[in-house]
Amino acid sequence: MGATFDFSFVFQYFIKLLPTIQLTLLIVASAIAIGLVVGFLVALPQMYNIPVLRRVSQVYISFFRGTPILIQLFLFYYGLPEMLKLIAVDAARWPALYFVILTYGLHSGAFMSEMIRAAVASVDRGQVEAAYAVGMTGPQAFVRIVLPQAFATALPVFSNLIIASLKDTSLAFSVGVMELTGKASTLAVVSRHLIEAYISLAAIYFIVSFVLERLLRLLEQRVQKRGLASL
Amino acid sequence: MKLDVSFIWTAFVELLDAIPVTLAITAVSVLCGFLIGTAVALARQFRVPVLSQAGAAYVTFIRGTPMITHLLLIYFGMPMLLDAAAEALGFGFRSASIPMIVFAFLSFSITAGAYASEVVRSGLLAVDRGQLEAAYSIGMTGPQALLRIVLPQAFAASLPNISNMLIGMLHGSSLAFTVSVVEINAKAQIVATTNWKFFEAYLAAALIYWGLTIGIERLSALAEKRFKAYSRGGVS
Amino acid sequence: MIALSGIKKSFGKNEVLSGIDLKVNRGEVVAILGPSGSGKTTLLRCINYLEKPDSGVISIGDFKLNCRQHGKKDVHALRQKSAMVFQQYNLFRHKTALENVMEGLVVVRKVSKAEARERSIALLEKVGLGAKLNAYPSELSGGQQQRVGIARALALNPEVILFDEPTSALDPELVGEVLSVIRQIAEEGITMIIVTHEMGFAQEVANHVVFMDGGVIVEEGEPKQLFRYPKEERTQQFLKRITPEAGYSI
Repeated sequence: MGATFDFSFVFQYFIKLLPTIQLTLLIVASAIAIGLVVGFLVALPQMYNIPVLRRVSQVYISFFRGTPILIQLFLFYYGLPEMLKLIAVDAARWPALYFVILTYGLHSGAFMSEMIRAAVASVDRGQVEAAYAVGMTGPQAFVRIVLPQAFATALPVFSNLIIASLKDTSLAFSVGVMELTGKASTLAVVSRHLIEAYISLAAIYFIVSFVLERLLRLLEQRVQKRGLASL
Repeated sequence: MKLDVSFIWTAFVELLDAIPVTLAITAVSVLCGFLIGTAVALARQFRVPVLSQAGAAYVTFIRGTPMITHLLLIYFGMPMLLDAAAEALGFGFRSASIPMIVFAFLSFSITAGAYASEVVRSGLLAVDRGQLEAAYSIGMTGPQALLRIVLPQAFAASLPNISNMLIGMLHGSSLAFTVSVVEINAKAQIVATTNWKFFEAYLAAALIYWGLTIGIERLSALAEKRFKAYSRGGVS
Repeated sequence: MIALSGIKKSFGKNEVLSGIDLKVNRGEVVAILGPSGSGKTTLLRCINYLEKPDSGVISIGDFKLNCRQHGKKDVHALRQKSAMVFQQYNLFRHKTALENVMEGLVVVRKVSKAEARERSIALLEKVGLGAKLNAYPSELSGGQQQRVGIARALALNPEVILFDEPTSALDPELVGEVLSVIRQIAEEGITMIIVTHEMGFAQEVANHVVFMDGGVIVEEGEPKQLFRYPKEERTQQFLKRITPEAGYSI
């Protein structure tokens, strides 16, 4: 087992881990960005009840919500290069980070689409009717009237998804990406001060998620008070 | 290397052995989680001094950190504490004799407890205050009112959240491979590396998790129908 | 039989009850009237100890409780003496009409299930719901729910039944069915205290009327006396404002 507990290592590792926050946040941000786009595309056939596509998006959501993200990560990491080989793309040398971002993006896309659908459904039907009544077209009504209102309801869910995504990044080490958890494990093994390393790791995650949550809460409050104009 | 469809089936069959381990981790962590969570939620609801603050801190910490950090801290921290304690007290006990799966049970229960406390709390909030008053007015004691009136309604209101938590812990159990517990994910890794067929093995694992998840969703829909029979009417 | 003395209650700085004294005799039907915010509902809830008075003494039958010094058991004992019918009915949502009525008998009074069942069915038949025994509250109209609420209170055979504006959450066309059930049990000589806005009903059913305003009892007396010849100016004003409505009530 490891060396005797020495609190000074906790602090030392904490400092050493700080620069790695950047990589973790990069994964979160890219995954959320991809997730928003994918989520929107997946939600559309459901909202507009498009026959076949609706079924496809249901299966998509069911799969990504129905399997552990770790398994999804392995599936893409090992499976995608083989798939791409079929269309003569060589992905074998791509950095693991690409696979991580892609998996996390697709994963959060499933949750985002549920969020978008629920938020849009929460907007009162009378709002759309009123928009039609003043002569707006369907897309106009959607973009100008429905979306801004849906945004306010979606925001708390969106915050939760960001925090969940941050915590999920801790699994990226399993395909060799040196984000916070990967880095901490390396430090731990090298020095044999395992527990100290993992305490600083937990502390860093806690601080990052705490700060993110506070910022998102502020944003929610602003949007609730003054609407989208405050952005 | 091409996709070997028949190997997906082979892997699938091999992975079936690991399902009980996954289910055991899920069941133990959710059950213990609910015991912890109910205690924490009640302590916070009734503002029990010290316990309610400690509960709040516990929930905030667990929810603010990834599940894998809980597992790593327990896995590496517990033996250290236990051995130190055993040595100080002169017991012959050594942490090496603890089976790996115990660390998974312990750590995941602690994780689940924090999430369960939020589930219980929102369930309690969903019960109208008038229900408690009515219970008191017919002469029930506090514990009677809680057990017979509030908790059953809170439970029915929480069913969707409970199902989500079950699914969350089922998926979370895939982390147990980091402490060498052979559940579905770890088994998939073994099958994958021994046959050098990663994609097929993980595809089989994904199918199993997917099936289990759909099973939980179906069961919870059934339970909801059964336990929420009382709200079927539209008149109020 | 029921005596309240010096009941005081404040919410924060706002004193809602400023020393209430009230006596109710066995078999009496007392109506408490007053504008909203006068403290009448709070007073009623204090008798059932759903609100804890800051001070005062509540005695029901042979049981006496000093609000300043008592244990949990005393509160429990006090609650057993009374039963409450709520404005929002508050039927147990996860239990059928029959189970709602049986609950107190079985759990609190420890009556056997078979006997509780028999008594509960009789009571539900009495309030005209013999056909709805197995309906859940969500399947009943407001008037039906309130009648179950009354049966639930009656089942406990309490010394007094407290009615907290029993008809004010109901649609107008459902008020009649509930009032007629209350009228029927009033005639059986059950002691009742009713907080209500139904002036005509109060005049007809009550043998004693209490007018409250600003946390005190302004005036009390026989209904005829109080409605026709109110002594206090505040009572006169209140009745003047409310009377046109009373004209067409039941």
